[in-house]
Amino acid sequence: METNLILSSSPHIHTRDSSRRIMLDVIIALLPAAIAGIIIFGAKALGVIAACVITAVVSEALFNLIVHKQQTVGDFSAVVTGLLLALNLSTNVAIWQCVVGSAFAIVVVKCLFGGLGKNFANPAITGRVFMLLAFSTVAGGAKPAVVELVSSATPLELLAQGSENAPGLMELFLGLHGGAIGETCCLALLLGFAWLLFRRVIKWHVPVIFIGTVFVLYLVFTGSFQMALAEILAGGLFIGAIFMATDYVTSPITLKGKMVFALGCGLVTFIIRYFCAYPEGVSFSILAMNILTPYIEKFTANTPLGGSKNG
Amino acid sequence: MNFKKSISSLKLPHYKSTAAKASVRVAPPSEVLLPMNMHSGQAAEPVVAVGDYVRVGQLIAREEGRNSSPVYATISGTVAAIEPYESEPGRKTQAILIKGDGKMEVDPSVQPPEIHDLDSFLAAVRQSGIVGLGGAAFPLWAKLDAIRKGPIKTVLINGAECEPFITSDHRTMVEHSDLVVKGVALLKEYLHSEEFILGIENNKPDAIAEMQRVFADDPAVVVKPLKSVYPQGAKQVLLYNAAGLVVGEGQRLASLGYIIINVTSLAKMAEYIETGMPLVSRCLTVDGSAIKEPKNLEVPIGTRISYLVEACGGLKEEAGKVIFGGPMMGKTAYSMEQPIVKATNAIVVMNRKDAAALEPSACIHCGRCVANCPLGLNPTAYAKALEIDDKMERYALLDKEKVSMCMECGCCSYVCPAHRPLVENNREAKRFAKKVKTELQEQEKEKEGGK
Repeated sequence: METNLILSSSPHIHTRDSSRRIMLDVIIALLPAAIAGIIIFGAKALGVIAACVITAVVSEALFNLIVHKQQTVGDFSAVVTGLLLALNLSTNVAIWQCVVGSAFAIVVVKCLFGGLGKNFANPAITGRVFMLLAFSTVAGGAKPAVVELVSSATPLELLAQGSENAPGLMELFLGLHGGAIGETCCLALLLGFAWLLFRRVIKWHVPVIFIGTVFVLYLVFTGSFQMALAEILAGGLFIGAIFMATDYVTSPITLKGKMVFALGCGLVTFIIRYFCAYPEGVSFSILAMNILTPYIEKFTANTPLGGSKNG
Repeated sequence: MNFKKSISSLKLPHYKSTAAKASVRVAPPSEVLLPMNMHSGQAAEPVVAVGDYVRVGQLIAREEGRNSSPVYATISGTVAAIEPYESEPGRKTQAILIKGDGKMEVDPSVQPPEIHDLDSFLAAVRQSGIVGLGGAAFPLWAKLDAIRKGPIKTVLINGAECEPFITSDHRTMVEHSDLVVKGVALLKEYLHSEEFILGIENNKPDAIAEMQRVFADDPAVVVKPLKSVYPQGAKQVLLYNAAGLVVGEGQRLASLGYIIINVTSLAKMAEYIETGMPLVSRCLTVDGSAIKEPKNLEVPIGTRISYLVEACGGLKEEAGKVIFGGPMMGKTAYSMEQPIVKATNAIVVMNRKDAAALEPSACIHCGRCVANCPLGLNPTAYAKALEIDDKMERYALLDKEKVSMCMECGCCSYVCPAHRPLVENNREAKRFAKKVKTELQEQEKEKEGGK
């Protein structure tokens, strides 16, 4: 009798996808935005990206080593967090601040909750919000290296002030204005979105509903198509909607839930931007919806075929 | 226009390389091993003794207890042993070993059964030893017996065959369409069923064409081509996609006036009624990355896997995993010397590389298991529930999330990018929930008894 046959539970075949491949796809999708950021903001942007990514990977590796957990850096999720954090920072930030923020994102927000899949809030967003509060240099826009601008203020600040120096729609779309490294170039972010859709990493619903909600609300409240378009193109809406509101771990598990989540993100972003003094709002809205995720999941669960609802 | 919600399903690689290969009869094996638990109910009881000479079609074990089914000698020869056998690790039963004389002498008891009414028809089906040949192994007579509780208006004939590799039902429809027609006629005559829906995946155009041809003049039979997606042949999925029907949780299909019969089971039933030869052989697919020449074989039940592999030119690579049935729901064999049973519709032998286990990593909450569950269940919730220490709390969550509905089709595990053993979890959760439920019901009974 042979005993060398493998005994296992069905199924015996498997998709080729893996968590690692998904993370790799997210990294690939972020590359256009990263490259655009380096072109627009210069070498300092590369420094910020390198500092965040290296810190993220090293701090996760060290954490696992210290607490004797299985090494997990090979899943590339730390790279995603570091990269995403960097792209949400302005080049005004000091490198040591990047290191602190990135380490905070990985160790406090992710590892202490049990690592990948266990954190309730998006590490990159929470890291950015932590840095916003800790260091004043994060939020303000850096002056782009490639264009002559009168002000390094972000377009959202300019829009909020009603400034005449606010950039035009094409400049907004191409990202030739002040802001965080990876958030300004909508074209690059849309290329990333296309890659994620092509690789079926995400569905279109969350980014489209998130951005659409902000757009429609601005259209209704300001009555200006131009203004509504400028509002969605400026600031961190695209990067937030495409890359952070779609984070698997911190958003609801059903498509229905994800759609509610995206709607909530759009609503909160609009409220913060329109009614509050603060010109940004994407990070806070996603963070707020991260916290609401368990409650959204409660009322958006699927009804099993033939099963009575809520048994 | 149809705005019905569609059921989630997977586009799997088909691997149906044997689809065009006619089933071949091979020389009978020198011995067969017939386990007593080849059906889903209680094990059959041997009625022969060691040393007895038996002929093909001779009763060697009678049905015993609930949902049982008789076993017949599948080759002629001598009963060499009646021995303990493990059909899968931990599932113990008895098995009858017959050493063949190569003659395949047919038993004189093999005579077409006399049928004149429903009772004699059901009795004949009961004697045929036929069980669900698509893999379910539920005795066919017990399924048809539902007629005693109410009319069976519609019969769904399952020719979907959605699992990769398997083409044995496909071959039945192409090669034995006459038997399928006879089976339908028998059900019409004795069960008075009015409607027959034959669901076939559209990756079998020749089977669809053949069935449409033979049923062209029969308005009661609808040949329904179905999309080739997995798990198209699962009970709830087939019902929904072929008949537009949803059977509710805990509801019996027969109470709606429907039954589902696998197309090969139906053909075998017709064959028995016609010839009196009970279920002693079947067509099955032998395929997989380690098999040299994949084939469809018509072989005696009880034939050892190693014999089938030899009949397919042997192995071209070292076997890593041997599966009874398809790769999505099949069970692994622990030895090449295990025999095929009544419900074995395929033997898939994978090479070492394909069989290698994937290392599971942390759940990233991607939701693919939820999005791809045909029934809309939530496998992540079951995994979470199993981590709850408190027994009743764990049960409450599993019950709320309807773990009992899981049919273990394998879609969730298949799509999981973290390679988590979700089906295994679901199975464990189902077992646990069932156990607690029974305990609770017994407590309830005791309370009532005490009053």
